[in-house]
Amino acid sequence: MAGADSPSTALRRRDLCTRGIRLVGKMRSDVIDLLDTYVERQGLDASASVAAVEGVPPAAVERWDEQTGTQRLLENLAAYRAFRALLAQMLEEQREQLGEAGAALGRALAAVLLQVSAFTYHLEELLRLESRSPPSEEGDGPPPRPPLSLFEQKLRGLGVLRELAQWALRSARDLRQLAKPSPGTGSAPGLAESP
Amino acid sequence: HMQYERVGADVTMKCGSMDWDAAVTWTANGTDIDESHLNGSYLILKNVDLTQSGQYSCYEGSSWHLKYQTYLRVGTPPKEPVLMCRSNNYPKGFYCSWHLPTPTYIPNSFNISVIHGTKEMICEKDAVPKNRCHIRYLQLFSTVKYKVTLTVTNALGKNFTTLTFDEVAIVKPDPPESVVAKPVPNNPRRLEVSWQNPSSWPDPESFPLKFFLRYRPLILDQWQHVELSDGTSHTITDAYAGKEYIIQVAAKDNDIGTWSDWSVAVHATPWTEEPKHLTTEAQITETTSASTSSFMAPPTTKICDKGAMVGS
Repeated sequence: MAGADSPSTALRRRDLCTRGIRLVGKMRSDVIDLLDTYVERQGLDASASVAAVEGVPPAAVERWDEQTGTQRLLENLAAYRAFRALLAQMLEEQREQLGEAGAALGRALAAVLLQVSAFTYHLEELLRLESRSPPSEEGDGPPPRPPLSLFEQKLRGLGVLRELAQWALRSARDLRQLAKPSPGTGSAPGLAESP
Repeated sequence: HMQYERVGADVTMKCGSMDWDAAVTWTANGTDIDESHLNGSYLILKNVDLTQSGQYSCYEGSSWHLKYQTYLRVGTPPKEPVLMCRSNNYPKGFYCSWHLPTPTYIPNSFNISVIHGTKEMICEKDAVPKNRCHIRYLQLFSTVKYKVTLTVTNALGKNFTTLTFDEVAIVKPDPPESVVAKPVPNNPRRLEVSWQNPSSWPDPESFPLKFFLRYRPLILDQWQHVELSDGTSHTITDAYAGKEYIIQVAAKDNDIGTWSDWSVAVHATPWTEEPKHLTTEAQITETTSASTSSFMAPPTTKICDKGAMVGS
């Protein structure tokens, strides 16, 4: 179990967490706007319930408050890497489906993809701060799956964006947990032990 | 033996095993019932109302043996109950509370089921108040909706209501606590307001609250508002000098849910300069100096305005 941080590491982490919270807050509001555009553009029903989409990491978590800092970071990193691939795929599909007519939606998707990529890098940096090299990405891409119908693709996209919005919410809370000073020492605990 | 009947119903009571043509006496809460309500030995109550609830007894004519006794409860079947679920201690859990829109006048039993996805969750009932129970979040950040069904049953009927909601939609903190407003010395247009997170909010660090402050002078109806995304204090800088203000604060999770109710109102009046007593002081100083010219008022006494001093 790593001992408590050096002050500089704690300061650095706090700074990274604070900036990460802002980034993920902006991302969440953009994703929520994107959801509205996507639903309208794709002719979907906003209240449609979408079953768990294969390959999309669910934000739902049990005993969230008992997770260690490292668990939080690793789960976040795996999720945003997956979203990066999923959004890139959606962008591709969307261009094929809507072409020029869907340019605005495409730009919005690309903007969110950019933020997801930036946040992914941010998480990797946080992990490196703990002298933990981020897990490699080989084989992380979405599993090959049978071609989906157009409607299934659209529903899937809805599921991806909804889950991403939830992840953005969770990530902000995770980062706030990480940024918490550990009791007594005033400096953030080592990642392994931060609740 | 308890008997339930709907308001407005026609009720027929037989005198136990007595024949239709047997001579009997019926009482309601010990008072004989007029023969006009009898059909043979049967008691007929038309279009019953709430006042006719009570104990009904039938006695055999000659021997006064008690042949039949029942307690009649007149009431109504339950209407669709009103159900409300809310999380004021996110992310620990949420509670649901309910009531009936109109009384039924007879005992009702409530059953609540909480389903999250495919999982049934336990709703721990409060001893007091009886119509409330608590559910602990087993999962956070879920896109799966919660479905809460409340069923109410009584002897005359049954009804239910269902709520479906997202985890985040029902998050509504309690109002901020310990709201204090104070004048700022030497600042006639400022008021310093401070408050605390509601004590029911478990983790303000990871689930920060933002606040909404509203204030107005008592003499005006129009509120002024300011939203504050962090911190639990604010200085009002545009208060009308000398006017008493009423101030309230509300809270909301930074990212999700809805605003709390307004806090308890507090009152405060901005700092004002001490009033100068121009008249009476000036006269006292004048008469004292004429008779006892050697005794001068100590500097600490309220010094009159130089212009107002006469003959000094």
